[in-house]
Amino acid sequence: MSVDTRVNWGGVALRNPVLTASGTFGYGMEFAPFFDLTRIGGIVAKSLTLEPRIGHPPARIAEVPSGMLNAIGLENVGVDAFLNEKLPALPEGVTVVASVFGTDIESYAEVCKRLAGSRVAALEVNASCPHVKSGGMEFGQNPRVLAELVRATRQAASVPVAIKLSPNVTDIAELARVCEGEGADALSLINTLQVLDVDLKTRRPRLRNTLGGLSGPAILPLALRMVWQASRAVRIPVCGIGGIQSGEDAAKFLLCGATAVQVGTANYTNPRAALDVAEGLEAFAESQGVTRLTDLIGGLETEPA
Amino acid sequence: MTSLRVDAEVAENRDEGGANRRLRLRVPDWPGSAPGQFVMLSPGVRSSVERFDPLLPRPMAVYRVHDGCLEVLYKVTGRGTALLADARSGERVRVVGPLGKGFPESVGKCLLVGGGTGIASLYDLAARDRERSHVLLGARSQRDLMGQEDFAALGVALSIATEDGSTGSSGLVTALLERELETATNATVFACGPTPMMRASAEIAAKHGARCFVSLENPMACGIGVCQGCAAPRANGGYALVCRDGPVFDANEVLWEAMP
Repeated sequence: MSVDTRVNWGGVALRNPVLTASGTFGYGMEFAPFFDLTRIGGIVAKSLTLEPRIGHPPARIAEVPSGMLNAIGLENVGVDAFLNEKLPALPEGVTVVASVFGTDIESYAEVCKRLAGSRVAALEVNASCPHVKSGGMEFGQNPRVLAELVRATRQAASVPVAIKLSPNVTDIAELARVCEGEGADALSLINTLQVLDVDLKTRRPRLRNTLGGLSGPAILPLALRMVWQASRAVRIPVCGIGGIQSGEDAAKFLLCGATAVQVGTANYTNPRAALDVAEGLEAFAESQGVTRLTDLIGGLETEPA
Repeated sequence: MTSLRVDAEVAENRDEGGANRRLRLRVPDWPGSAPGQFVMLSPGVRSSVERFDPLLPRPMAVYRVHDGCLEVLYKVTGRGTALLADARSGERVRVVGPLGKGFPESVGKCLLVGGGTGIASLYDLAARDRERSHVLLGARSQRDLMGQEDFAALGVALSIATEDGSTGSSGLVTALLERELETATNATVFACGPTPMMRASAEIAAKHGARCFVSLENPMACGIGVCQGCAAPRANGGYALVCRDGPVFDANEVLWEAMP
């Protein structure tokens, strides 16, 4: 028995539901020594800004139980270098999603415009970075500002647009509905949780930026909760992100309503993680007699048996 | 050299006195590595229960490839290395590597300065340039020294300094460097160890007009240039990634006062 692994994420046909999370996969070719990139659903590249950007001073990362903190500061090569150098290096057949970031709505829209006409299959608008001074999370927390951002990026883009939402909000369902109402094609969630950790020896924050984002297996149940709430609130497809390490983890997200998933921090501990998750998800489905992965989507039973 | 990801069998994981340990891993497909390159090690990947804590792999210098095994020297300093120390023969440790850019070729005399666990980055370099190398090893105490017998067996010139004077000369290894550079001409310094030791080595080398290369050890999550956690401040602005642009840098490229 073979499993039909194909899914459609907001107009983007994926050979399987497993993508890589932005910021954890570079621009893709860093992983070419470890596996064939065409075998996963696609890659979401590092968030791009209009101009190249230097990140935060170190320390930028810290390990915590079952997770890690980061405050990188959206260091990236800029959208032009991405188009001229990074994108052409990726083999044909790799589905590429570009992550877009700006410090104001105009710069978000301008990055979307520059990407128009390129081979990127979709844009993911990063409305949720928790560790930069301006932009990012503040766009994803205020429904009125988020609506404006979705409108502007949707208008500027020539391919489907997904909005990447923050978990640092009170009502994820409301923000999901705002995105859908303004024409977003899909959602991605969650970005990292805004956190703080302390070095007791120095009595200083462990990160130079003081605040950072928590990722890794520690955040998986929270991500499942938010994906479940968001996917029930909207019709557009949701990509589930947060602590995925295995095919079984990915299957949980599908059951909670995700159409696709992204593997993030696991890429650091295992450079083959995304492919391992894709293969593990297929093996899980096969073991359950599931012939199409789409049959798992939203299959969570909450009533007593 | 292309990098591998392999779950390698532990051939031996032995106590070498104090907190020092030597891990020998069977990596039959090892593509070879240049002196100064490193690996990311995840212990316990094949344990019977899934392990997420500690989560991240640990960067370790390739000490050498010897008797068909990849060797790593390490000290138990925290939870990651404690877990690594628990790996028994026959168990698996995930290896990603070889990674990074190693020490460049040089001419003339090589002064290799190793402090603490930084010593482990220098063995292959000493082996490459055996006749021209003078190895200077420093540690707090005799029991903290790593790999002393291996360096001695290479037949390279070897000098030791310990802070408590328990072996070799008493004091810092950088004092040995200062003394060597007073008489050496056309020497290149290669240093790996704690940041203050590398910075002092760089300053001493600069004072004597010698080139100096350092191997930085910033914490990192991925080792392959994607997490951007291991940023080291550059003297000419911005950041270099220790894993991708290093770990070996010309000491002049590093903005020492901004190093974490």
